[in-house]
Amino acid sequence: MTDENPSVEQAGEQEKAATPEKTVAATEGTVKKDPPARPAKAPPPPDPRVLEATAYAESLKDEVEKACGAGVVAEISATKSLPVLRIEQAAWYPVVKYLKEDPEQQFVYIQVFAGTDYKDYIEVIFEVHSFTRGRRIRLKTRTPRDPAELASLTPLFAGLNWEEREVYDLLGIQFTGHPDLRRIMMWEEWNGYPLRKDFSEFENAPHIGGETRE
Amino acid sequence: MSTLRSEEMILNVGPQHPSTHGVFRLVVTIDGEEIVDADPVVGYLHRGTEKLAENLQYTQIIPYTDRLDYLASMINNYALVHAVEYALDLEIPERAEHLRIIVMELNRIASHLLFVGAYLLDLGAMSPFLYVFQERERIVQLFTEICGARLTYNYMRIGGVKWDAPPGWLQKVREFIPFMREKIRMYDDLISGNEIFLNRVKGTGVFTQEEAINHSLSGINLRSTGFNWDLRKNQPYGIYDRFDFDVVLGQKGDCFDRYWLHMLEMEQSLRIVEQAVEAIGDGLILGKVPKLIRVPAGEYYAGIEGARGELGVYIVSDGKDKPYRLKLRRPSFVNLQILRKLLIGQSMSNLIAILGAVDIVLGEVDG
Repeated sequence: MTDENPSVEQAGEQEKAATPEKTVAATEGTVKKDPPARPAKAPPPPDPRVLEATAYAESLKDEVEKACGAGVVAEISATKSLPVLRIEQAAWYPVVKYLKEDPEQQFVYIQVFAGTDYKDYIEVIFEVHSFTRGRRIRLKTRTPRDPAELASLTPLFAGLNWEEREVYDLLGIQFTGHPDLRRIMMWEEWNGYPLRKDFSEFENAPHIGGETRE
Repeated sequence: MSTLRSEEMILNVGPQHPSTHGVFRLVVTIDGEEIVDADPVVGYLHRGTEKLAENLQYTQIIPYTDRLDYLASMINNYALVHAVEYALDLEIPERAEHLRIIVMELNRIASHLLFVGAYLLDLGAMSPFLYVFQERERIVQLFTEICGARLTYNYMRIGGVKWDAPPGWLQKVREFIPFMREKIRMYDDLISGNEIFLNRVKGTGVFTQEEAINHSLSGINLRSTGFNWDLRKNQPYGIYDRFDFDVVLGQKGDCFDRYWLHMLEMEQSLRIVEQAVEAIGDGLILGKVPKLIRVPAGEYYAGIEGARGELGVYIVSDGKDKPYRLKLRRPSFVNLQILRKLLIGQSMSNLIAILGAVDIVLGEVDG
């Protein structure tokens, strides 16, 4: 198209009347060409650890849904060789109870418990190990930010007492059924939840004249 | 005859206390001398490391990890660095791996030495405390020569270690090993047969394997019940699978077992250091890593066997050079939860013995 333009300008007026149609016809006829495509890079071969862990997660999902009802496992994935199951918020306690107490599962040893604030929801994860099955899995669930509520797992695992208190203190999730839910790191008069992404110390801190919320 | 009016008393073992291993508060309700309830209050040393880490590049977080369990900084450094390397599937050069093993196990010995000294000091014996600091001084001198610091080393980097061993350092480590073995034997002679000590710690603070697993205990607290769980063997990392060492187990789960395991684990750590010093070769100390380290998007958790239990780092990354969320799984924090259960029903005089045997460092409890 650009090649034709200099000739259009050089042409006389008689051609000017004709050339718009010519250029229109010319543009309508030709297909706009992209630059020559680079050869597509082959996608990296799937990590065998992830494949195996995903298969394990699939089979675990079937077992869980058979015992606790269909639809409790929202999503499965894998990180390297760790199977990950995301449980629906409402089914959090029953699924974990099944995985802990069922003689085939026996996921009894919790290794880490954490909460993360994503902008639309707060996600709580924990990684639990089964000595009988010789495998560690990650279980996670999501709760909306407001209200942020989750069933407490402390009746099942005594070692989650302080961990859940810490997540309550720093992220603001109310754990229903927790025997002693109060702040652990910050002091009682503190407002706000420091680990949330929208936390601002200067608006919240009681010791430097922050406003009292709630 | 008038009856004696008795009430429960609320006693505050306050944050300022020489035997609480840091700023730790314990509100005990006692009926005479018997503890009816005990409420540990923590958070006096909370520095917001996890929140700060969200604004720091991974290498910049390493000095913060030094200050978690400040008695075993090398191991703390390694926890973070290992988590990032696990996420990136990095290959670490051989010499760096061996140097890491040597300094981590030396640091474990130093940390256990301080436990022995501080525990005995809590119970009223003042001599072991001074003796252990002599040996700790030898280890700390070695660390000063290799990385310039005595307590917070900032030695590990993602991909290796920062400083190479200066000439003669490995020979000094080689000479330290038999010297330390002799000293452990000396401590054993001094402490383990002492009747007052044994009376105070044998049979106190007992918990069972099921309780330990339910409370997510790890490290020596779990092994004192006889449960065989050591992350160096069960979920191996680094090059620990190349070294020959035993996992020492307790029998009864009482405070004496926990003290005894600290002594035995020092000997096992010496075995590891001995083998690592023989196996170390020449080479790079820092692998090829990009200048700006970006962890691919995802969530990764890596736990290692810290001096006090399972020390882990959980990273949530969105592909940037700073973590979206960094969670530190701190063994002292998790292990301390069993304190309330152990104290109820005990006599006040056993409080310090039980608290000391849990082996906490407040920097790690509060994070």
